[in-house]
Amino acid sequence: MRPDFYVLSWNDLLVSLLFIAFSLFLIKKWKLGLENTLLIGTLRTFVQLTLMGYVLTWFFDQQHWAFMLMLLFLMILIASYEGTRRQKQVIPHFFPAMLVALLGSAILILGTILLFILDVEPWFSPYAAIPIGGMIIGNGLNSTALTANRFVGEMKHREKEIETLLALGATPKLAVYDAMKASIHAALIPNINAMMTVGLVQLPGVMTGQILAGIDPIIAVRYQIMIMYMWFTTATLANMIMLAIVYRQYFTSKLQLRRELLRENKA
Amino acid sequence: MSYIISFCLCVIYNWSMENDVLFQFKNVHLRVDDNHILQGLEFNISKGEFVSVIGASGAGKSSLLRMFNALTSPSEGYITFRGIEIDSDIQALRKNVGVLFQNPVVFEGTVRENLLIAGRWDQTISQTLDHEIQTALDQVGLVNIKLTHHAKDLSGGEQQRLALARTLLNHPQVLLLDEPTSNLDPKLAREIMDQIEELREALNLTVIAVSHDHMLMRRYAKRVIILSHGKIIGDGDFKTLDKSHAFEDAGLLKNEVNDAT
Repeated sequence: MRPDFYVLSWNDLLVSLLFIAFSLFLIKKWKLGLENTLLIGTLRTFVQLTLMGYVLTWFFDQQHWAFMLMLLFLMILIASYEGTRRQKQVIPHFFPAMLVALLGSAILILGTILLFILDVEPWFSPYAAIPIGGMIIGNGLNSTALTANRFVGEMKHREKEIETLLALGATPKLAVYDAMKASIHAALIPNINAMMTVGLVQLPGVMTGQILAGIDPIIAVRYQIMIMYMWFTTATLANMIMLAIVYRQYFTSKLQLRRELLRENKA
Repeated sequence: MSYIISFCLCVIYNWSMENDVLFQFKNVHLRVDDNHILQGLEFNISKGEFVSVIGASGAGKSSLLRMFNALTSPSEGYITFRGIEIDSDIQALRKNVGVLFQNPVVFEGTVRENLLIAGRWDQTISQTLDHEIQTALDQVGLVNIKLTHHAKDLSGGEQQRLALARTLLNHPQVLLLDEPTSNLDPKLAREIMDQIEELREALNLTVIAVSHDHMLMRRYAKRVIILSHGKIIGDGDFKTLDKSHAFEDAGLLKNEVNDAT
């Protein structure tokens, strides 16, 4: 018989502290000197996630489209800031590029899912918009931040190649085509590999969570399939929008490579 | 104001057409950050000339060469190509003004793919026939190379010739050389320069070559522009300039000059 779902009480959670106690014991025995850090980590996990739970409960009580839009926009702003902070190089106008890329993919993909796939009623219902929006934005952030880094690396590596193509009469877009292709490949191949092996090696987090919460595995699987497709499309779309904005920053209106930008690193 | 500019440009245009002037540099400066790399350059280059730009490293030679195909623009002053502002149609300019860099760029793929790389955006190149490709290879002395050969497997000299053939397929009027032979041994360097000189005569090319090796250059170039710290300190034929102190002032050793003459 399938249980409806397993409820984890505060007392149950206290029992899970035994894991930490066991780890502490092992760490002490091996004299790894990580006790204090582990204790702080344990406490922070507890406090941060508990607070987040209350915040989410409050969010889920808000039933207003404007609130949802503002929340999603705030998430995108934070993600764009985080993506910009993660860059090792100075990429001109990277923050707005991230903003447009994440906004564009969120509107298109989240919109499609809420309105046409899940038929959420009303569309701004926080139970769907917050977790799915969060996944799209988070995934878009991780992917674009990596791709941008790789793209600048490719441009540095191919500086002469790019100038040779320009000198043969190429437009900047064609001159950086190979660099763009290499960086998009690097971003998308892990996504495709994940699609190849999903379910064979491990069960993805969302599905595991849903099954634990008592959802029929067949339905959980459908969700997971949608999420895999969504992830891939988010990565594709967000990277393409971001690169289409970013590559232009490296050229002047006179079709010249701004070589000085390839020499700069963040202080 | 714009009337005055257009009038001036018209005058320059007419004047340059009469004199077969290809490039005209007027008070050209280049500043990068706090460095004043080129300072007030003024000269013309006429059709069919073989000009070499000589100077010690850091004199601004490569920066100057990059201006002929607008890979770099002056911070001040202006440049005209065939009487028209150089940046009025940059893609057309770059087809007309080919460049050979010090280290030739060879792309992944075959010899044919390398030669026709501009076919990605230029239909006339993508439709190039095999015999035209062969002609270009013959012109640069790459006679026994298969079009299906992997380009990265070619030797340094062959790669440089491949890059030259690729440029020739654009049918340029001008060829820019940025120390194209400095990584090759002297014999090979001379062979490639001989080939370029032959091409210049056969195709009526204008050649502008940047080099620190004036001994090699004086075999080919009729005219030399000597750059020192971003300024032109000599412009003329080698013999005349040998009599001045320009080569020494540019940081080029006197005995090198004597050896070569």
